[in-house]
Amino acid sequence: MARLRLRFRSIQTHMALAFTFLILMTILAMSVASYYLTKEAVKSNVQVYTAELVNQVNNNIRAYVNGMKDMAELAAGSYVVQNFLSIRQFADAVEESDYRELVSDFLGSMMVSRTDISSVSIFGYNGQFVSGRKDLELNPNIDPTTLDWYQKAREAAGRHVISPPHVQPVFKDRYPWVVSLSLELAGRDGEKLGILLIDLNFSVLNDMLRDIHLGPRGYLFIVDSAGNIVYHPQQQLIYSNLKTELIDRVLETENGIFTGEQDGGRRMYIVKDSGFGWKIVGVAYENELVGNQRQLQLSVFLLGIVCIVIAVALSLLLSRRIIQPIKRLQMSMQEVEKGNFDIHVPVSGTFETSKLAHAFNIMVSKIRELMWQIVQDQEQKRKSELNALQAQINPHFLYNTLDSIIWMAECNRTREVIQMTSALAKLFRASISKGEELVPVETEIVHIENYLKIQKMRYKNKLDYQIDVDDSLKHYQTIKVILQPIVENAIYHGIKKKKGPGLITITAREEGKDLILRVSDNGIGMDRDTLRALLEPAPPGREGRGVGVRNVHERLQLYFGKSYGLSFESTPGEGTTAYIRFPKIPSAMGGESA
Amino acid sequence: MMAKMKWLAAASVILVAAALGLTDWFHRMTFPRPARVDVIIKTNSNTDAMEFWQVLVDGVHVAAEEFRVDVRVSGPRTEADVDVQIAMVEDAIESRPDAIVLAATDFDRLVPVAQKIVDRGIKLIILDSGINADIAHSTVQTDNVAAGNKAGRVMQEYLQGPAKIAIISFVKNAASHLDREKGVREVLEGDPRVVQLDTYSVDGSEQNAYAKVMEILRNDPGVTGVIGLNEGTTVGAGRAIRELGLKDRVTLVGFDNSLEEIKFLEEGVLKATVIQRPFSMGYLSIKTAAEVISGKKVPRTIDTGSLVITRKNMYEEENQKLLFPFVNS
Repeated sequence: MARLRLRFRSIQTHMALAFTFLILMTILAMSVASYYLTKEAVKSNVQVYTAELVNQVNNNIRAYVNGMKDMAELAAGSYVVQNFLSIRQFADAVEESDYRELVSDFLGSMMVSRTDISSVSIFGYNGQFVSGRKDLELNPNIDPTTLDWYQKAREAAGRHVISPPHVQPVFKDRYPWVVSLSLELAGRDGEKLGILLIDLNFSVLNDMLRDIHLGPRGYLFIVDSAGNIVYHPQQQLIYSNLKTELIDRVLETENGIFTGEQDGGRRMYIVKDSGFGWKIVGVAYENELVGNQRQLQLSVFLLGIVCIVIAVALSLLLSRRIIQPIKRLQMSMQEVEKGNFDIHVPVSGTFETSKLAHAFNIMVSKIRELMWQIVQDQEQKRKSELNALQAQINPHFLYNTLDSIIWMAECNRTREVIQMTSALAKLFRASISKGEELVPVETEIVHIENYLKIQKMRYKNKLDYQIDVDDSLKHYQTIKVILQPIVENAIYHGIKKKKGPGLITITAREEGKDLILRVSDNGIGMDRDTLRALLEPAPPGREGRGVGVRNVHERLQLYFGKSYGLSFESTPGEGTTAYIRFPKIPSAMGGESA
Repeated sequence: MMAKMKWLAAASVILVAAALGLTDWFHRMTFPRPARVDVIIKTNSNTDAMEFWQVLVDGVHVAAEEFRVDVRVSGPRTEADVDVQIAMVEDAIESRPDAIVLAATDFDRLVPVAQKIVDRGIKLIILDSGINADIAHSTVQTDNVAAGNKAGRVMQEYLQGPAKIAIISFVKNAASHLDREKGVREVLEGDPRVVQLDTYSVDGSEQNAYAKVMEILRNDPGVTGVIGLNEGTTVGAGRAIRELGLKDRVTLVGFDNSLEEIKFLEEGVLKATVIQRPFSMGYLSIKTAAEVISGKKVPRTIDTGSLVITRKNMYEEENQKLLFPFVNS
């Protein structure tokens, strides 16, 4: 759980999520926009196309109807026809038959090369019937005067009437579907002569309209001005009430487009007035307008999915690339946390992270250096202290002193034995501290005084000494056993080799914040090289002269810093002066201590 | 690092798989396989002038286009070929369509094979003529009893005094004819003017019908009404009446419409004919089949209706379309 939550709080997850979300939104918006834009574009294209198609159909139908009208005009204006119809009584049957032949030929000539016209016939009020097709006979069971087109033409009195498609039962044994144009014929004098009937094969229109598809299910239909359906590809469904059309709205619409909700979904109606009472209506299902709407959806959808997959992979990769160096850095830091400083982070990745890695590397190396320094210092200190300890209990000094004591005891010089033993005791008491590193200068003075006391008893007149330290300086702190190695050096290498008595003087003075102890002798002195070699680290394996002195110098520097320690002045033949410099550190106790 | 890579790889594989699955689903939603419907009608002879079935098949094709169904129409040469039709149904079952639309030639003998259709999990829609078992998902037909009632009532209008009436049945055991006869009898049996009401079967032949009616009319001048239960019997009876010149004495009421029947109507030989709506029948049978296949609830029976056509109303606009249909071949 916690790991999971941690994962969710990582920069990588945040970045990946943010990227993914952003890209997802963009793709979604783009997809939806492009889908709708495309859809609209296709839709308006289809609208234009459909409107043009409807126009075309309208023009075709008008061409047919106009052809019929022209024929009607021609027949109506014909003398032959007018004469034939105005004759009440023919002279004989031959004359009548000749006349009929003439009129029939005239009507037949109009039909030549017009396959769309099924018949042209005249029904005279005088009882005459003539057809352009000689094979046509009247249906004995049907009275033409009862038929719709006949009655309408009479009512229209000279204007032509166009019927809706209907079955023409007036001819024997024939029941063709036709569109009829009927016209009442009149003579020059205005006498009404009969009815002209021109039948147009409806199959011509039917074939033309049936094959027109507006999309997979769209179609064309025609209504007349009364709202009767003239043609509909699914007329049977209309009559069975299995399908309805928005006839009322079609009638309201002059020319134009509207959409309506019907049983099959939203449909678009494109209405065009033909000019002779019919309206051509194109119907297209809105969801099919974009013919390959589903395909469009599919391709947009697929494209979206592909984009999203790529986007997610990309965002993961990208965030990984950014985060990886940071993670590496973090891992290195963990190592450092565990204490491994021997680490170097490769400086790579983005500018910021490489900077970070670089800084981190510098920091780690600095820490490593300092650590090394501390380890070194500690080691040095330990070594120096050991040396100091050794210096305190220089065995030779102890043997010699004890030899002297024995010798004095054998000679019964009891007073001197007591003096020497007591000095030895005091010397040791002063050097044995209670574990603390710093002691008051006073203790150091007591220590050196007793040491000198012992040495004086051994060397008698050969050695003399003077200690002149102001009491006001005695409470300052110093490290222990710093005077003895120097004094020892002065005795063994300065005074002992000199002829005649030697003098060792110990003084102290303040200099600013520092305290300086001065140890001078009047021994043989040292030349420059010896003097310089005194404070330089001895080559390994050659522990010789000056070990104690150097130890004092190093300890001072370790405790108080490089600006403190020993310095010497010497003139060969005249003597040597050693200066011990250390900072004034007032005693914690305040005053003198025992 | 390796684990991370693996995780990433697994994630992308899952993502791609999901995308593919979704695409497949979407594809199937978008372009569903059209349902397959076998339509087995009573007669599928092109030479035969059975306009009824041509118009019905026309309705089938219009519906097939509209509801995106693959249809295959078959049928025996004549309505009497019951065995042929049974074999056709067997064949259809083997081809495993989604639905079978069946116009049964025999009320009883098609039952076992119809049961087999249902047992095989194929949807069964009964069209026009039913079977003696209530196993179909839906039945699309003219309410033939009601149609028979209509024919009976028209006959009543022409009855004058005591009348003998002959009912001519095309085949013995077709459900549609049985129902029509029942409908006719429901009306006429209750009429006191009807003194005799006999049914004659003519074994699926117009010629037989003609001969039978000739025989009846010659033998018994008291027969003043003939009811033909389908196109064949009506035309046969019409020819007999015209030949005998008995159109004023004998009232002929028929079923269905053909060019011959139209002429008889115009002549006055045929007083009225009860017509069905074959286009609607064909259309609705496919629509219903499509709905059953897609799991929609459909009515158990769908009545496509019938109407009485007389000489007077035959050229009315709506009736014209039914009487003189365009057959889109």
